[in-house]
Amino acid sequence: MFRCVLTAAALVFFAGSALVHAQKQTIGAPPEASNMKLVGFNDLQARSAYQPTIHHQGDRWIAYIGHHGGTDDVPAPVNPMTGKAEPNGTSIVDVTDPAHPKYLRHLPGQEGKYESGGAQMVRVCDGKSLPKGDPNAVYMLRTFGSEAHEIWNVVDPANPVLITRIGGLKDTHKNWWECDTGIALLVSGAPDWRTRRMTQIYDLADPAHPQKIRDFGLPGQEPGSTGAVPTELHGPISTGPNGNRVYFGYGTNKGGILQIVDRDKLLNGPKEPTPDNLRYPEISRLPMSAFNGAHTTFPMLDMPVTEFADDKDGKTRDIVMIVDEAILNECGEARQMVWFADVTTETRPMMISSYTVPEASGQFCQRGGRFGSHSSNESMAPVYYKKMAFIAFFNAGVRALDIRDPYHPKEVGYFIPSITQATDKRCIPVEGGERCKVAIQTNNVETDDRGYIYIVDRANTGLHILELTGPARTVAGLPKN
Amino acid sequence: MRRAAAIAAAVALGVSGVGADQLVPQPAPASAGWRELAWPFPRDGWPAGRAFRCEGGGCDGTELYVRAKRGFCNCEGGVADDDEVDRVADLDLITPRFAARAPGEAVHVGGMRGRARAYDLAMADGARHTATGIALSRRCDLVVAAAQGRGDANAMRHAALVFLKTPEMKAWMMSALDGK
Repeated sequence: MFRCVLTAAALVFFAGSALVHAQKQTIGAPPEASNMKLVGFNDLQARSAYQPTIHHQGDRWIAYIGHHGGTDDVPAPVNPMTGKAEPNGTSIVDVTDPAHPKYLRHLPGQEGKYESGGAQMVRVCDGKSLPKGDPNAVYMLRTFGSEAHEIWNVVDPANPVLITRIGGLKDTHKNWWECDTGIALLVSGAPDWRTRRMTQIYDLADPAHPQKIRDFGLPGQEPGSTGAVPTELHGPISTGPNGNRVYFGYGTNKGGILQIVDRDKLLNGPKEPTPDNLRYPEISRLPMSAFNGAHTTFPMLDMPVTEFADDKDGKTRDIVMIVDEAILNECGEARQMVWFADVTTETRPMMISSYTVPEASGQFCQRGGRFGSHSSNESMAPVYYKKMAFIAFFNAGVRALDIRDPYHPKEVGYFIPSITQATDKRCIPVEGGERCKVAIQTNNVETDDRGYIYIVDRANTGLHILELTGPARTVAGLPKN
Repeated sequence: MRRAAAIAAAVALGVSGVGADQLVPQPAPASAGWRELAWPFPRDGWPAGRAFRCEGGGCDGTELYVRAKRGFCNCEGGVADDDEVDRVADLDLITPRFAARAPGEAVHVGGMRGRARAYDLAMADGARHTATGIALSRRCDLVVAAAQGRGDANAMRHAALVFLKTPEMKAWMMSALDGK
């Protein structure tokens, strides 16, 4: 009897310790992981990171990583390669050997802190794939803070050369660039529009000579309109001329909208931004709950669904994965998560499933910083496309989902990096001041054609290169490692 | 209980009894007071705020809706321009059909800075109302207010700002911004 009581007491003590451990990350503790493991790491000069884009460049693999602006404590971190304080911009890292990433260059961005500076977004196209590009060039399209888009020749990634600049904007964000046509959907703040972010469409087939096609947004956002202003744009993803669709995501953590647009009508329809002309290319909208926004709208069309294999109709479905963005620290808002919409009947899109990290699995509301989704990988390379999705979930790290049945997405792995000395604090207001905690803030994720997974941290922890292990590899059809 | 006390306090507050709104010089009539109402709008993305109706004085009949919106992206720049006021000030809760009457003006309440702008509203029943939209920022968060009624927009703005500057309302706004 006495032994039973002792055992029970020990169990309670152990459970209590585990709970404390789960709630607070400590420097030096190992990462938390399931079916994912760390391959390589780079600290990215302790800069807050947003979009990573991995480009196969000749016989090398280069990671281009966009950064938010600096912090109150360190507005412009020192670049150890130059010895100078530089406003956050773009990190260029050779990841050919993912176990030993080599930092090549920091390209400074706009001065400013947090979302007011830096160079958050980056996309890369080979000159030889663009219809009028220099076949010897590799072009990097990046935002320059809130004021401009820039195109650089990064054929020598350690020595980028500025090609052109599209400026005069009040904001920028998550662009899309079709490398086979040159069509770019630039998330911009045109000065006369009533919204902070809308779409400016350019033909960047010849990056040295950008050709403006049109401005686009939701009716009510255009110059001169009155009344309620619809939710601002977050970012579009195009399926190109073959798919002939653009999926626009509006909203961040509130009032989200998935808008399905006919690409041909968008590019070739009437261009004056009148309400009728803005409505013309729209096929449908899926308004989301006021509680959730649409950061990423990732299309996965013509997916076979095993459960429906014997059905006379509807064996394959067109799916759009919608990822909300959490904004507030320590669960100060409604849960931001992942939604799957069946858009097979395009004029009647419908939510079919959702996914979130169970909060209790890590006491994430108490860890500090944001908890909730932010973004997904956007690579459509065969290695993972329509099989697995990777979701950046802030203090819950990256989550690997088996999405082969999008009606029932299943988590099959995760990786939460350890914090380091560089990891920045996250604070919430309390009576007469603020209380701060330090936790990982996995912000964005991308994959390469080899199957490596790249996650970057908003709280300055850096870049982690990961691979799948165990059953998660089987889901993707990867050989055992 | 706390709500009831707040209502009583609001009713008791005559706008003449508080510090004058420095940006709008005209004095408000001494008899105006604000009575708290139930929040009149359906649930949306932000938690409900507080609603008041002005009784007496130059703002008689004006309704004022105030709430915190936490998680405003423009942490550094604050309320950047009049378009920002159009977007965030909750005028769309009153009616989707509103038009600005003129460029807005910079305003402040306590340590919060922002902008206020006057509007014409086309109400669902065909009536024409006027309104003032107010957006104030504290770092990454906002307090927004919309005052609407049949009265003069300038008097409406003045009365609303004076009321928002009362100690009770400032304390409530700070508390709401702290997520309480």
